[in-house]
Amino acid sequence: MSSEFEISRSITIGQYVPTGSFIHRLDPRIKLLAFVILVVAIAFNTSYIGNAIGLVLSLFLFWASKIPISYGLSGVKPAIPFIVILAILQLLFQGQLFSDGKVYVNYGFILITSESIRLVVVSAVRFIEIIFLSSVLTLSTSTTELTHSIQSLLSPLKKINFPVHEISLITTIAIRFVPTFAIEMEKMMKAQASRGADFGTGGWWRIIQRTKEMFPIIIPLFNIALSRAEDLILAMECRCYTPGGDRSSYSVYRALAKDYLVLLVGFLFSLLLLFYPFPF
Amino acid sequence: MKKGLTVRDIVIAGVLGAIAILLGVTRLGYIPVPTAAGNATIMHIPAIIGGIMQGPVVGLIVGAIFGISSFLNATVPLFKDPLVAILPRLFIGVVAWLIYAGFRRKSEYFAVGAAAFIGTLANTVLVLTMAVIRHYLTPGVAWTVGITNGIPEAIVGTIVTLAVVLAWKQIGKAQKSKISKDV
Amino acid sequence: MPSRPIIQVENLSHTYMKGTPMEHVALKGASLYVEEGECIAIIGHTGSGKSTLIQHFNGLMRPESGKVIIDGEDLSKKKVELKTLRQKVGLVFQNPEDQIFEKIIGDDIAYGPFKLGLQLKEVRERVKWAMSVVGLDFEEMKDRQTFALSGGQKRKVALAGILALKPKILVLDEPTSGLDPRSRNELLEKIKRLNKEEKLTVVFVSHNMEEVAFLADRVYVMAGGTDVLTGTPKEIFTDKEKLHRYQVGTPETVQVLYRLTDLGYQVNTDAFSITEAADEIIKVLAGTKEGSEHVQRI
Repeated sequence: MSSEFEISRSITIGQYVPTGSFIHRLDPRIKLLAFVILVVAIAFNTSYIGNAIGLVLSLFLFWASKIPISYGLSGVKPAIPFIVILAILQLLFQGQLFSDGKVYVNYGFILITSESIRLVVVSAVRFIEIIFLSSVLTLSTSTTELTHSIQSLLSPLKKINFPVHEISLITTIAIRFVPTFAIEMEKMMKAQASRGADFGTGGWWRIIQRTKEMFPIIIPLFNIALSRAEDLILAMECRCYTPGGDRSSYSVYRALAKDYLVLLVGFLFSLLLLFYPFPF
Repeated sequence: MKKGLTVRDIVIAGVLGAIAILLGVTRLGYIPVPTAAGNATIMHIPAIIGGIMQGPVVGLIVGAIFGISSFLNATVPLFKDPLVAILPRLFIGVVAWLIYAGFRRKSEYFAVGAAAFIGTLANTVLVLTMAVIRHYLTPGVAWTVGITNGIPEAIVGTIVTLAVVLAWKQIGKAQKSKISKDV
Repeated sequence: MPSRPIIQVENLSHTYMKGTPMEHVALKGASLYVEEGECIAIIGHTGSGKSTLIQHFNGLMRPESGKVIIDGEDLSKKKVELKTLRQKVGLVFQNPEDQIFEKIIGDDIAYGPFKLGLQLKEVRERVKWAMSVVGLDFEEMKDRQTFALSGGQKRKVALAGILALKPKILVLDEPTSGLDPRSRNELLEKIKRLNKEEKLTVVFVSHNMEEVAFLADRVYVMAGGTDVLTGTPKEIFTDKEKLHRYQVGTPETVQVLYRLTDLGYQVNTDAFSITEAADEIIKVLAGTKEGSEHVQRI
């Protein structure tokens, strides 16, 4: 890294990669809904075959989105050490809980069975599936589309007085301000460094001192945010914004036959993963 | 629960959510102190402050934003599981609010400190519980992590929350420069 | 070159977000040198890499490829004493809002000296000195809050905060943008005095050509991430064709003189400082009938 201060540039939320693929052109609400049900289904599936299906499906979707594979791999690569550590931990310590199945190793407290191996493999594969699925969603859908979709999908909840519009406004504000705050932080860290501040020199074991060293960055971050909030509250009240009012949306999504088809396929896959008794 | 969210609730939840995301996607969210993970996270602090400032609903929403962002950005298998990454985070701000509301009449700052301490512990405990339920960790490992990680993190969380709340309340108050003191 | 330059940049390149789709080349083989005691202006169109370049001078950015040597220290080495470097090279940001982070003026200016580990007494002396240089009253201003200051005052505080470090090299990013004409002239006079009397080496980025003409000993023109032209303000501003190519303006005085030449008057277009230009215009006026009457009245 050439600079220790490149915060704003390292932010990749909502990193939309326009490729114009079929996936990009889907109704974002359908995409979000299909994503949620698939992730839940994958999270609960513990069979080899089920996860193999999930893996093929998520790789297929990634391929169909025409996004360069390097994007998906960039999510997997930094995780490899964690996957390995988790696998070792699970292999060493989870055997006792999964003692049914064939026993491969039984040495002291270490018990490795076919079931604990299944746990290790399934956890790792599941992780890769979810990485690819969430990459497809966030790389093929802009953040605006996502917030609109959340609002639209939650709108039936309005009937039970669930603050749907407010939640979507909160999300919009949050996403809108991340880059702003990042730039402010970057400038401030540069300003402090230019006048001789150095970050993190206290002893590793001195918790309170180490924490205090972060104050010059963290406290202004909250102060900037909260004073921005005061300005925004004033601006919204000046324009007579009232929460809970009825609002029409600027962008209206219309799901087409292909969207419903995709949703149906996603739904069927989820049912398959959730309820089909895979033999292996 | 209050009826409906005010403009203030919405905006504060929004900017605190932004901080939660920012802390999550940069290394600003980690304070390098000795824990099992090598860092203490402060990413959950916006949720605590949301709960303290605006009540349980805002606390819950900021927690949800933190959870979803940590789920989408996770590079650790543990947090690529929505049940571990998102669900426990909903409670951080709510717990913080309960504690704050409970102790508030005794002392404002004690209440803030206690809310931050317990709120942070709630995060640790709930995440680890889910990790055990989902078979990522055994109870033994979870206990070890809980103690070596949870305690320092709760200390860090308390200090940072108190500092932020104090600093915010002092803005605009007249003060004298450090260099005005007598030598 | 007779002596070793205090700043030496050779073939410096920098790419933001290398290896991602958002890759952006900010610097591409830029080179320059600054002699001790010189006052150098860096001009160029927006996005030509000026700000990225000057952030290398105090180590906020490290050379990706190429060399940056500050006062004999090579910044492309792995281990650089950043704290010493940043004390030596004071960087004043374009927007003073970005630089003032303390709540009280005195604390903000004292931030650097405190970080250097100086005693309170010495810190106070330095703050006093820095405030007097920029024209802020120490007793009156030291305990005031920073957020209530006017734009001009904020700039003064920001400059004082850097001067309190007693740097050898002062680097300024658009020192006068957003200032009213009077504060601008005041500030320019101060920078000039620091350069001439306190022997500070000054490097500044500017879009204001009058300012460049007034301050700079030498000018670098940047375009497309590299240095394309260098010379004294005289040399630069008389190269009309190149200035146009790199989308750099000229001082208004130069524009007037060029217009006069175009209209067929004999004027010296090198005379771009305000007094010189005025003399030239008076010469022209004296040559015409009505004009000479005017001039006599003046």
